Amino acid sequence: MLITKKQERNKRNGLLGYLLILPSFLAFAVFMFWPLLRTIYLSFFEWNMIKPYKKFVGFANYVEMFQNPQTYKIMGNTMVYILILLVLNFIAPYVLSFVLSIIIKKGHNIYKRIFFLPSVISLVVGSMLYLWILNPVSGPIAVIAKMLGQTLPVWSKSEGLVLVVLSLITSWKVFGYNFIVTLAGVSGVSKEAVEAARLDNVPMWRIFMDIVFPMSSATGIYVFIITIVQGLQYVFTPIKVITQGGPNFASSNMIYNSYQEAFTYFRTGSSSAFSIVTMVLFTILLVLEFKFVEKGVYYEN
Amino acid sequence: MRTKLSEIKWHLMLTAIALILIIPIIFAISNSFKTLSDAYSNILNIIPSNPTLNNYLQVFSQLPFWRITLNTFLISAAVTVFKTVTSFLAAYAFVYFVFKGKNIIYFILISTIFIPFTVTMIPNYLTISSLGLSDSLLGVILPQLSDAIGIFLLRQSMRSIPRSLVEAVYLENVSHIRIMKDIILPLARPAVISTGIIFFINSWNEYVWPVLILKSQDHYTLSLALQTYVSQESGTEFTVVMAVSVMAMLPPLILYFIFQKYIIDTFTLSGLKG
Amino acid sequence: MYDIKFQNVMKAYGKNVVINNLNLDIKESERLVLLGPSGCGKTTTLRMIAGLEEITEGKLYMGGRVVNNVSSGERNVAMVFQNYALFPHMTVEDNISYGLKVHKLDPAEIRKRTDHAIDMLDLKGLENRKPKELSGGQRQRVALARAVVKRSPYFLLDEPLSNLDAQLRLHARKELVKIHEMYHQTLVYVTHDQVEAMTVGNRIALMYQGVLQMIDTPSNVYNRPANVFTAKFIGSPPTNIAEAIVNEGKLIISGQNVSLPEGWLKKVKENNCDKLYFGIRPEYTRITTNYTENAFTGIVKYIEDYGNKFGVYFEVNGTEFISVCDENVPVKGETVYFAPDYSKIYLFNHESTKSIGYPEG
Repeated sequence: MLITKKQERNKRNGLLGYLLILPSFLAFAVFMFWPLLRTIYLSFFEWNMIKPYKKFVGFANYVEMFQNPQTYKIMGNTMVYILILLVLNFIAPYVLSFVLSIIIKKGHNIYKRIFFLPSVISLVVGSMLYLWILNPVSGPIAVIAKMLGQTLPVWSKSEGLVLVVLSLITSWKVFGYNFIVTLAGVSGVSKEAVEAARLDNVPMWRIFMDIVFPMSSATGIYVFIITIVQGLQYVFTPIKVITQGGPNFASSNMIYNSYQEAFTYFRTGSSSAFSIVTMVLFTILLVLEFKFVEKGVYYEN
Repeated sequence: MRTKLSEIKWHLMLTAIALILIIPIIFAISNSFKTLSDAYSNILNIIPSNPTLNNYLQVFSQLPFWRITLNTFLISAAVTVFKTVTSFLAAYAFVYFVFKGKNIIYFILISTIFIPFTVTMIPNYLTISSLGLSDSLLGVILPQLSDAIGIFLLRQSMRSIPRSLVEAVYLENVSHIRIMKDIILPLARPAVISTGIIFFINSWNEYVWPVLILKSQDHYTLSLALQTYVSQESGTEFTVVMAVSVMAMLPPLILYFIFQKYIIDTFTLSGLKG
Repeated sequence: MYDIKFQNVMKAYGKNVVINNLNLDIKESERLVLLGPSGCGKTTTLRMIAGLEEITEGKLYMGGRVVNNVSSGERNVAMVFQNYALFPHMTVEDNISYGLKVHKLDPAEIRKRTDHAIDMLDLKGLENRKPKELSGGQRQRVALARAVVKRSPYFLLDEPLSNLDAQLRLHARKELVKIHEMYHQTLVYVTHDQVEAMTVGNRIALMYQGVLQMIDTPSNVYNRPANVFTAKFIGSPPTNIAEAIVNEGKLIISGQNVSLPEGWLKKVKENNCDKLYFGIRPEYTRITTNYTENAFTGIVKYIEDYGNKFGVYFEVNGTEFISVCDENVPVKGETVYFAPDYSKIYLFNHESTKSIGYPEG
């Protein structure tokens, strides 16, 4: 709080404070908060965005969602996406940050700059690039595989594999940013604590698990959460560009499905219900993070 | 020395990853200068045998490319200016003011980062339509304006400025506007620049809202144009696709090369939540 | 068997040489203190023993074998860091026993050692606290406990007391010596505090700008400094150092002269130098207002009151001296006579700044 002695000044301060956040807040109010409420509202209706009236159906959309086997397939896909994204964009950057920060200690700058580069490129472009690179017939990977006597499967049409490939494409963009953040977290761990462990001849993997990881847990939780929340949203682009959710919903996830329900099938009620459920899941994650960060903040300050 | 061997092993792995991340871009550039037959017959060659500008020329003939680039630029610029300015003002208020509900409001704004876009997409779409902004640039600009990441980054940056500096000036009865302009802005300049650039790049690459709102090719942004261009003409010469891709990623890449250090430093701080 | 030997060791960071041609022998079970101003290389030297810094050139022997390429974990060294380096997410007990647990020591043995250390360092009752819940002194003792349970033959300490307040420091110093008397490790201790060095060390190794200045017992370091730096660094207020010439049996400072005794003249002749530095500690600089023959004459410029003693600044033709005295204190402007006590003076070769030695007897 700025030092002010007069009550009047404080009041004026408060008013000015509100004024300063007003523009941002307005944007949020119109395009974030009110829509959130509206979506909740729409989830109780059946409406195709064109008809002049909406049909109230209560919890029917939610019930139908949980009764539809397809929902579970989509949720399953979402879990698989999350898992792969976490391995590639949480575990991998974390371990590599440890390696770079504590085992190698050199070359931070170069690696940081190169890894981060794809993060500034559009995933549409990324999808195009990988469509070609991973083209099972004429792409460079296929050519190399052929030289080794192997053929690439048509991944865009194979359930399961399509999830892996789309995750890979998304990770291409996400990895760099996550790496920067985990590197900062790992670098912030007290060098002497690590040295103390090395003097005790503690093996490197244990130094990582017992010391570095717990001591950078605030960063870790943050990366974990954004990998899930933002990763799932980023995957939307390759899905839309390459497979449109196919084959047979094998590559669709909860985010893409909401979109499809709304703008391909015009089932706004169903879409809204899906979106709300997705958001509830994310909120649970947020609450978990807050709890952890309470504990974790000590190490990084 | 003893550790050099194991160090090399790790350096190799990191270099391999770096290559995997960069190769697509290199291939894109390489293919954009190849003729189609060259691209098909010498897939693994990075250097084109008969370099040609034909692909690029085709782009201009098949798409209103400059128009589309201009659209993308206008949208990104508008979004950037609005978000940077409002985020700066809001961050300033959160750091240097006390008002009722400040912390709650901040928490609510920041937690919107975790709201997936699908939650707000239908109502926003409807709002834009009812405002008559379908298929317009403004219709793409507006939904992008609520983004809390700028407030977060700028607040972190301002908190690292010694309070005593601001308090000393404030005691001189200088107005807040002067403080913002003469003290905070210069000291937080790297963060402001990075935040602006990040906003710009994200908006440049934005795909969802253009897909939802824009209908006529004349109004397309680069991301949208790229995607529809490909799906329209099956068997589109992929070398031309590569050329469009290269041109689409050029501005963000250039911005990145110039402002690398700022951008990376700003994000390095963002992970240390406080 | 558990000795440490530096042989022509050089350490550089790129082009920046921080340790230059270090030859240092540390005896088994001795308490050796590495003393010096900041940046002198003492911590770097300690870290080289621990294996936390690479050795650029030269050899480091521990227990007779070359350890340049041996990793820290395999040198069997226990170390206490300046900032303690406790694991903030572990309890006191876990901090202490972590190393032992990782190496799967017999749980009974772990228990025994941990309890013993907790007991000895007065940490009873704090076992389940986390470091952030401890005071500075308690954290320091946990760091010590962690080092002690290893039962290593080598014990390294990097300014372990510098973060403690004065009273605690006294107590902690005594504890350290007690630990050493119990376990007889080869103890290497880094500090910039002279008093600490003199009271803890069996021998002191004084370093400056990466070069070893002198290594000897506290008494010798104090009374028989090997060079000008040592004379000036040890003791407070610092030793008086003045340029001097010896000519025809006379010691000449700033144009004034006194007769130099035979023992010293012999030393000067042995060293074959006529340009010297003359040194004497303020507490041995006896001055009097009574006329004295064969003495330097000076004017008092300034007096400092230390409470129990006084520091008298006087100038001999422009060369400043300090004398510490507690009675018959002169006043500013008075003329004083300074007849050096030749059993307490130091003479150094002007060019090399090294001591020319001390007369027998």
